[in-house]
Amino acid sequence: MTITSTEALVESQETIRVNALHALNYCPRLYYLEEVEQLYTQDASVFAGRRLHVELEKDEDGDWQQFVLESEKLGLRGKVDALRTRGGQTIPYEHKRGRCYRDSNNKPQAWESDRIQVLAYALLIEAELGIIVPEGRVRYHADNVLVHVPLDDQGRQDVLNCIDKARQLRMSSERPPVATNERLCGRCSLSPVCLPEETRLAQGTTEQVVRLFPEDDERQVIHVTEAGTRIGKSGDQFKITKRDGQVVTLPSRQVSQLVVHSFAQLSTQAIYFCAEQEVGVHFISGGGRYLGSLDTRQGSIQRRIQQYKALTDSEQCLKLAKQLVECRGQSQRKFLMRGQRNADEHREALEQTIAQMQRTLKGVSTAQSTASLLGLEGNLAALYFGALPHLISDNVALGMKFSGRNRRPPKDRFNALLSFGYSMLLKDVMNAILTVGLEPALGFYHQPRTQAPPLALDLMEIFRVPLVDMPVMASVNRNQWDVDEDFNVQRDQVWLSDAGRRKFISLYERRKEEQWKHPVTQYSLTYRRLIELEVRLLEKEWMGEGGLFAQLVVR
Amino acid sequence: MAESKNYYLICYDIRDPKRWRKAYKLLKGYGESIQFSIFRCRLSQRDREQLRWKLEEVLAEEDSLLIAGLCQRCVQRIEACNRPEAWDVDHNLHQIF
Ligand code: SF4
Repeated sequence: MTITSTEALVESQETIRVNALHALNYCPRLYYLEEVEQLYTQDASVFAGRRLHVELEKDEDGDWQQFVLESEKLGLRGKVDALRTRGGQTIPYEHKRGRCYRDSNNKPQAWESDRIQVLAYALLIEAELGIIVPEGRVRYHADNVLVHVPLDDQGRQDVLNCIDKARQLRMSSERPPVATNERLCGRCSLSPVCLPEETRLAQGTTEQVVRLFPEDDERQVIHVTEAGTRIGKSGDQFKITKRDGQVVTLPSRQVSQLVVHSFAQLSTQAIYFCAEQEVGVHFISGGGRYLGSLDTRQGSIQRRIQQYKALTDSEQCLKLAKQLVECRGQSQRKFLMRGQRNADEHREALEQTIAQMQRTLKGVSTAQSTASLLGLEGNLAALYFGALPHLISDNVALGMKFSGRNRRPPKDRFNALLSFGYSMLLKDVMNAILTVGLEPALGFYHQPRTQAPPLALDLMEIFRVPLVDMPVMASVNRNQWDVDEDFNVQRDQVWLSDAGRRKFISLYERRKEEQWKHPVTQYSLTYRRLIELEVRLLEKEWMGEGGLFAQLVVR
Repeated sequence: MAESKNYYLICYDIRDPKRWRKAYKLLKGYGESIQFSIFRCRLSQRDREQLRWKLEEVLAEEDSLLIAGLCQRCVQRIEACNRPEAWDVDHNLHQIF
C-alpha cells in the first residue's frame, strides 16, 4: 500500500480547483466523487457552458481575457472566465446558463456555489496581481440578471472556510452521504454513478425510486467471429474489413463493445481509440472460452482501495456470498417450478427436487463459512442440473438431449451451448466491472482457481439462470438448433460451429435486450443495463449503503 | 439523469473544402450521412452538446449549421412517408461480422 500513501501526500499539497469549490457547495458528495474518486462525466451542461463562453468571447471588444491562476498560499487554482477593468477596478465575471436565486423579497441573488466560485476568483486575482478586487459579478443568462457579489470580510472568510473544508474532505476515506435536497440530484451529472435514489431507498428514507440511472445504452455490441477480419479506425469510425475485402464503417459513438472471437485482427490505432472512447474490448477463443479484456481503467484507485478494505472483512464477504448463493439457488428453483407446469410425466420428479432445493436453501442463511456455502451451492447445482433434463420436451432431436452438466470441454451439444453462454456472460460482467472501475481480481466468494477473475465469477451467479439457462432451454425446446450444422463434434468433445456461434450470439444479445423489473427498486431495465446497475449496487454494499444487491430472482 | 436519445438532422453549408472534410469526418463518428451535407444522428443531450461544441470549433463565421431535433412522432411520420431507403433504421443492438 505504499503507492497510496505517497499519493495522498502529493495530493495534500496540491492546490484545489475553484470549480471543485463550486461542486463542494453544490453537494459535498459530488466534490468527493469528482476530486477524490476522480469520476468525471462531462454532461450536456458542461459542454453547453463552454460554448457560451466561446460565443461571449467573440462578442467582446478586446477587453476580454482569460487567466489561469494558481496561488500556493491560498491553496487554490483556477481559470478565470472573464476579467474586465472598469474605472480602474478589475472585476471577475462568471457566466451561468441558468436562473439566479431569488431571496424572500424576490431580489436576485447568486446561488451559494456561484457566490463562492466568483469570490474565489476574486481572491486569486488579488493574490496574484497584488491589487484590491472589490467584487465579483455573476451573470445569469436564462433570466438575464447580473448579480454583484461584494468581496467583504464575510466573503473572504467564507472562501477560506470552504478551502479548508475541501482539504479535509480530500483526506477523508469516507464518501459523504447523498444530498438531502433531492432536486439537486436531478440536475447532477454524476447521478448515474452516485445512484442517490437507490441509496435513499436502501436507507429507507424514501418509498419510491425516481429513476436517475440511465435506462438505455443504445450503443451496439460488435462481435467479430470470422477469422481474418480486420478492425481498424478511420477518423471517428471503426472500419471493419472482411476477408473478402468488403468494408463496413461504424460511427464510434454507436459502439459499446468489440468482441473479438478467434483470430480477427485489431489494429493498434483501433485499440487506442477504444481506450479513449470507453469501448470495451473482449477476447473469446475459437473454442468459445473467455480469454480476457482490455483494461483501460484509470484512476479509480480510491474505489479499489475501498473494495480491498471491504473484502478483507470476512463477515461482510460471507454475508454477500450468502446473498449470491440464495439469489442463484432461488432462481434455479423458480425456473424448475416454471417448467413443472408443462412436464406431465416428470412432474413428480421435479416436485421432489424443488422441495429438496428449498430445504437446502434454508441452510444458506445459517452457513458459518464460505466453505460450507460452497458445499451447499454444489448440492443445489447437482439437484438443479439433475432435474433440468426434465424440462426438455419429447420432440427435441436426440442429439440435443442433456444428461447433466459437464464442461472443459463440453461433452454434448447442450453443454456446449451452456458453456458458450457463460463465456458471453462473463464477458459482459467483466465489461461492467471495468466500466465501474472495480478490481475484478478481488472477489468475495469464488477463489482464484481458473483464469476467470473471482469478482466476475461472483457477479455472474446472479445472471446465469435468466441470461443463459433460460434462453438455451427455450431455444432447444423450439428446435432452433441444427444438430449437424451448428456444432463441431470430435469424439466426445463438442463446440459450436461458426454458424452455431452466430446463432447463439444473436440469441444471447436479444435476450439481454429484454426488460426485467427490479423487485426492490420496482423499475424495469434491460438485462444489459441491469448488469452494470448490479455492479454499482455491489459497490454500495461496502460503502455502507447496501441492501439492494443480488435481489434479482427469477419469478 | 436518464440519458434519453433523440434523432437529429444536422445540415450544414461549409464554404471551404478543408473545413467541410473536417466536419464530415467528425460527423461520421456520431451518425450517418443520408444526403450530401445532411447527417442523421441519434444523440443524447450530452452527445449533442459535445458535437455542437466540436463543430463550432471547426466552422468559420461564413459557414452555416442547422441542427433540427426530431421527436418520436416526427420519426414515425418520416418512416411512413418516405421511400424506404431514405430512412432505414437498424434497431439492432448488436452486429456480427
Ligand atoms: S447525485 Fe445528488 S447526492 Fe449524488 S453527487 Fe449529485 S447531487 Fe450529490
